[in-house]
Amino acid sequence: MKRNCVSTMLGVWLLTAAMVCPQVHAQGDKAQANKPEPVPLKLNVGDVAPDFKLHYFDGSDLKEVSLSQYRGKSNVVLAFYIFAFTGG
Amino acid sequence: MKAFQQNLKQLEAADTQVLGVSMDSPFANKAFADQIGVTFPLLSDWGGDVTRQYGIYVDKYKAARRINFLIGKDGKILEEQIDRDAIDPKKIVDACERRKLSR
Repeated sequence: MKRNCVSTMLGVWLLTAAMVCPQVHAQGDKAQANKPEPVPLKLNVGDVAPDFKLHYFDGSDLKEVSLSQYRGKSNVVLAFYIFAFTGG
Repeated sequence: MKAFQQNLKQLEAADTQVLGVSMDSPFANKAFADQIGVTFPLLSDWGGDVTRQYGIYVDKYKAARRINFLIGKDGKILEEQIDRDAIDPKKIVDACERRKLSR
């Protein structure tokens, strides 16, 4: 009789666990989904990169550079960085 | 920027010009370039017009996001690397090499 009771308890416990576990799991998934996604870019692969004219200092003069001057000549890597004198 | 400098020969061999861009002054950028040994131009987007045009201005920092764009000879964007991914330019170097080989 006592043994029967124990196995019933075990059964109930397992049943409860089976019901609760997927919920816990689902909550974990939800928390993961809520992680901040990187904000998508305005410009996507395949878009035409907007032309610009910017300057840099070569040690003696300010030099002008435009994106269009490379059109048909070379690829361009535009590496935007946050601040000078920082890593990355 | 240092990582691009390390790969500069490969990129130049693949017909690719590297341009750094930030909202610092041209003189700050020159000093930065000298300090880290960068030989390609670091352009100054003083005021942030181009940064905004490219949609990567961050209000909170009053600066650009860390982003690499690879732009083809036709002016179209071929690859993008965003935020943390942008620190290692391998994806861009590989893309340039692939294009060189496929020509």
